Amino acid sequence: MTLVLDQVSKSFGGLAALSDVSFKVNDGEIIGIIGPNGAGKTTLFNLITGIFPPTEGKISYHGKNLLGLRPYKVTALGLARTFQNIRLFGHMSPLDNVMVGAHCRTKAGVWRGLWRTPAQRKEEKSTRERAQALLQLVGIENDTDSPAGSLPYGQQRRLEIARALATEPELILLDEPAAGMNESETEDLRLLIKKIQMMGKTVVLIEHDMNLVMNVCDRLVVINFGQKIAEGTPAEIQKNPLVIEAYLGREEA
Amino acid sequence: MDIILNQYYLQIVIFVLVNAILGVSIYMTLSTGQLSLGNAGFMSIGAYTCAILTVKAGFPVYLAVPIGGAAASFISLIIGYPALRLTGIYLAIATLGFGEVVRVIILNLKITNGALGISGIPTLGTKISKMLSSFGLSRFGGLTAQQTSNLLVLVVLIFILAFLVFFCTRLNRSRVGRAFASIKADESAAEAMGINTTYYKLLAFALGAFIAGMAGGLSAHLTFFIGPKDFAYHRTVEILSFAVLGGSDLIIGPIVGALLLTMLPELLRSASEYRLMIYGALMVIMMAFRPQGLISEETVRFWKRKLGRRIKQ
Ligand SMILES: Nc1ncnc2c1ncn2[C@@H]1O[C@H](COP(=O)(O)OP(=O)(O)OP(=O)(O)O)[C@@H](O)[C@H]1O
Ligand SMILES: [Mg+2]
Repeated sequence: MTLVLDQVSKSFGGLAALSDVSFKVNDGEIIGIIGPNGAGKTTLFNLITGIFPPTEGKISYHGKNLLGLRPYKVTALGLARTFQNIRLFGHMSPLDNVMVGAHCRTKAGVWRGLWRTPAQRKEEKSTRERAQALLQLVGIENDTDSPAGSLPYGQQRRLEIARALATEPELILLDEPAAGMNESETEDLRLLIKKIQMMGKTVVLIEHDMNLVMNVCDRLVVINFGQKIAEGTPAEIQKNPLVIEAYLGREEA
Repeated sequence: MDIILNQYYLQIVIFVLVNAILGVSIYMTLSTGQLSLGNAGFMSIGAYTCAILTVKAGFPVYLAVPIGGAAASFISLIIGYPALRLTGIYLAIATLGFGEVVRVIILNLKITNGALGISGIPTLGTKISKMLSSFGLSRFGGLTAQQTSNLLVLVVLIFILAFLVFFCTRLNRSRVGRAFASIKADESAAEAMGINTTYYKLLAFALGAFIAGMAGGLSAHLTFFIGPKDFAYHRTVEILSFAVLGGSDLIIGPIVGALLLTMLPELLRSASEYRLMIYGALMVIMMAFRPQGLISEETVRFWKRKLGRRIKQ
């Protein structure tokens, strides 16, 4: 069992954003988290990655308690994420963005950086090569002159994925990666997510694009108003009356 | 020759260089996006430590200056750990307060000689000439001993500034520099990408304090006297304005800012009544029309493109 959430709750002031959510993520699977707007999906990612602590409940990863760890330590343990509202380092080049991701797997400090010691140069070279390979993987041309913030929207989303992959995660959390993408971009994204799984990584995917979710995920967790209302394979979820109600109910409103 | 080596001009150039070093110190902390106004405080810690060491304990200047920097840096770590939890304007206010606290402490300590300050500090120039005459070299060509030593002070300062520029450029193109830049761009995204933001913010803060402390030590040995008034709040504002005028994206920004703002009052000497007014107006104009400062990354990109095209033609 990779990631385990045990009765996790989070409230902001009086608002219960999540209540008693439990589920497990297995090694190597692609698990989808779906639910209407404001259901608490992003909050779940923020809890897992240590942005803020849960009000109640436990979160562990490979048996190690994640609670109280600062985000950078969670990342060092092998969990990486992307953001729903893109948060690239806008004025830096795409390559530098990805190289920042490699930070926690590299060592050179001020001294080595200043004197460009052989060890530093070697590390820098391999970081750059790996970053270039990741840019290629997500399909971004390494045009170093334009800053990341000026890339088209879909590319910025994929750059976020490359940056997260640079942290060498075992598990990657993707928050609505298909948002704002057209159909062909979404299809490329589906292939990319499959590739990431084939690289031996576990994927947790928040997504509103049902077509993508049903096609790519092994299993789904459905959240509505902060509560887990269903869990199962895409086929099971599609037939689940609670889920149908949650989604249809939203459309009626 | 005498015009170029005029005592007065040399003095201005020396002030330009010290201010440029201070510009680098504020650039350093700003490179993680932290607006610290404690530089005058760190400068005074460096200046006093260094002056006390040379005057009272007989330390050589070349040792006292880095020790002054280290002292400022050490204090910065102590106040930085709690202070760097603050961001933006709150950090600015806290560090400004720190500067005042340092000033008041210096005003009341015995070892710093209170409001009277420390005088009789051996100047860098005399130190260097002494060293030279001990080698039997008292003058070069037609230069007077005074000119020679001033010139050598200039060389020393240029060397220090050049090293700092080298240091910052190397750092920028390294793992640590990328961590700094990512924190400046988006602190919580940087943290989520595996960067210990507290550590790097503290590192930049301490490096900035080290540089400011060193500049303090150097300036103490240029003016022969230091007092608490030299490092009051106006000094902080002055240092900040180097970055405001020149820009803080690139290291050249605050250096150019320091150059312009140190020269400007001298050039405006004839209009001395309006000096402060012109100075103030300049700041307001910058804030209103070019908040990124004279030199930004855009500027460099623009000129590169332009010059690149010209070369191709
Ligand atoms: N930092 C915060 N402070 C206060 N309230 C918050 C915070 N983060 C989320 N919330 C609230 O918690 C609830 C769940 O938000 P969350 O962003 O997790 O929803 P979501 O499922 O990701 O929605 P969407 O599909 O629109 O992204 C919302 O009502 C939101 O306003
Ligand atoms: Mg969300």
